[in-house]
Amino acid sequence: MSTAARFDIRIPIGTLFSLLGVILAIYGVATRTDIGLYGRSENIVINLWWGLIMIVFGAGMLYFGLRAHKRPLHSAAGEATEAREHRLGLERE
Amino acid sequence: MTHLTPIDYLLMLVYFAVVLSVGWMLRRSTKTSTDFFLSGRSIPSWVAGLAFISANLGAQEVIGMGASGAKYGIATSHFYWIGAIPAMVFVGLFMMPFYYGSRARSVPEYLKLRYDEKTRTLNAVSFAVMTIMSSGISMYAMGKLFNLLLGWSFDLSMLVAAVIVLAYIFLGGLTSAIYNEVIQFFLIVFGFAPLVFLGLRAAGGWSGLQVKLAEVSVQRGFQPGAMTHAWRYMGDPSQNPIGVEWFGLVMGLGFVLSFGYWCTDFLVVQRAMASESMAAARRTPLIAALPKVLFPFLVILPGMIALGVDWHSVGAGAQHAVSAANLGIIPPKIDAATGGPLIDQAGHVVMDYDLSVPMMLIRFFPSGMLGLGLTALLASFMSGMAGNVTAFNTVWTYDIYQSHIKKGASDEHYLWMGRAATVFGIALSIAAAYVAASFNNIMDLLQLVFAFVNAPLFATFALGMFWKRTTGHGAFIGLISGTLAAAIHHGISLAAGSVPGVKGGYFGTHIVYRSELGQTFWTAIAAWVTCFVVTIIVSLMTRPRPEQELVGLVYSMTPKPVETVQAWYEKPAVLAVIVLTVTLALNIIFF
Repeated sequence: MSTAARFDIRIPIGTLFSLLGVILAIYGVATRTDIGLYGRSENIVINLWWGLIMIVFGAGMLYFGLRAHKRPLHSAAGEATEAREHRLGLERE
Repeated sequence: MTHLTPIDYLLMLVYFAVVLSVGWMLRRSTKTSTDFFLSGRSIPSWVAGLAFISANLGAQEVIGMGASGAKYGIATSHFYWIGAIPAMVFVGLFMMPFYYGSRARSVPEYLKLRYDEKTRTLNAVSFAVMTIMSSGISMYAMGKLFNLLLGWSFDLSMLVAAVIVLAYIFLGGLTSAIYNEVIQFFLIVFGFAPLVFLGLRAAGGWSGLQVKLAEVSVQRGFQPGAMTHAWRYMGDPSQNPIGVEWFGLVMGLGFVLSFGYWCTDFLVVQRAMASESMAAARRTPLIAALPKVLFPFLVILPGMIALGVDWHSVGAGAQHAVSAANLGIIPPKIDAATGGPLIDQAGHVVMDYDLSVPMMLIRFFPSGMLGLGLTALLASFMSGMAGNVTAFNTVWTYDIYQSHIKKGASDEHYLWMGRAATVFGIALSIAAAYVAASFNNIMDLLQLVFAFVNAPLFATFALGMFWKRTTGHGAFIGLISGTLAAAIHHGISLAAGSVPGVKGGYFGTHIVYRSELGQTFWTAIAAWVTCFVVTIIVSLMTRPRPEQELVGLVYSMTPKPVETVQAWYEKPAVLAVIVLTVTLALNIIFF
């Protein structure tokens, strides 16, 4: 049975999307008056708006991921399945 | 050619850094072979579910479905609404109890438990070859695309992607691949949703797009609504752009090919097998089906929009030449000899539909968003590759190496072999990528391979799971005859306008189909029916297995899965009804 703790997947997802969102939003603020840049995106400063949406999503993922991180990492169901397989010797067949 | 700005590269670098650190952080929790190949069977169902669709979300899906959207219109969604969804519901409700409950570690291993060694080996070897091939095709498509769009070196971009995938699978095994697949799922959603939003705005909404596609439809010799209705013109193959009638579509694509892929392909089933419990394993494909129902809007719609918008409004920012040969913003294929547009025998310009989605990214996204969109594309190529490699290393280690080359070694040894298989699996994929360089339409080729090898497979599994009389000899001979039937049918038929050779007709052209897809669907039907009939006949002539050996492997010999206390939204049957209702509603809306 694997004993090492595994981290919650929402943490890397949250980290990635928050970072990408922050970069896009900052770039969006810096370039918001550049008509040449946003002509193609229907004159919407898409970098800023989409960056903000990604920040909200990323922060939400981080919040739930970190909250779950404080609880036991392995679910009861997963532990039971693993224990059963271990008993049956499936790991060392 | 498009030039990226530093901000675009920065976004890509952030993604690569996160992907690699996931692998690095998981290395400590990968200690046994079960950890490496099956994630220690501890993945929650929503994670397994998103990985389930993501593993299939490689080049074939993102580029291929966009290309098909431009070629066939909304009818492409049949690949989802009549294809993937019913099959995903079926595997969750009816087949997962046997895959998960039999404690098989791979799909071929289930065949070994249910039938015999030879059936397992046949399946394992063909699967291993096929996974390497699709991984290679995916890498080739990536190298070519990024070379064309951004001028990146074909060899270098392939090599870098391969090394990153290798690093994170080597460290964290299946868990690493699954985690990265979930990340990639969200990247595709976030990269493509604004593309559809901006594209529809520019095209004047769905009604505006309908008007523009009606023109394209008439130009191609169809009724005005042929590209915006999924079913209305399916009565006659000459009336719809797919070139197939409803029966071939429903049986060939909906029943044979889709059930063959989603119910028996270890690449996807492996994600469900890694779940933490039987209930979670059954939920996995159903949870996957929920977003899958909506995926046509994310991957097919951009291809259709590409026909209905143009470069003009981009103005001076347009880095792509506005050419008379363009169809919407889709460029023609380039004739290597003349440097001009490629012209076919009938004098028509050949369009490069595989560029529909990449051209949409370039047309609508400014620097910044363009980096995000291209990162999503890169991620889909890489996770497609990773999915294939993780399935390959498991089948190689358990079903080929452990059962034929070295039995009874220590768990450490098999874990080591899994890591070694990851390395040579990727090396072989790179080799396959250079072989794939001589083929053009990625999706048609993949579908052809599915038809030969996968089409008969579902008959073997369905009979094995639901008819206890089926025998190992029956299954083996049935599979071989099914694959042969596919090859023979393909060999005597040809799509209109194709040249005999790799497209079929190598035994003479006796049947002519309207389109290659029509031919592929009927090839699959021929393979399935042959395998089904031959398996039954041979089974009845051979000695059945004692019934007590089939407990947990066959429906009638297995106690019904007990529904432990679950919330209503966790019950597989409830999820199945929701998924099927939404699918039916979409079919009616886009009828």
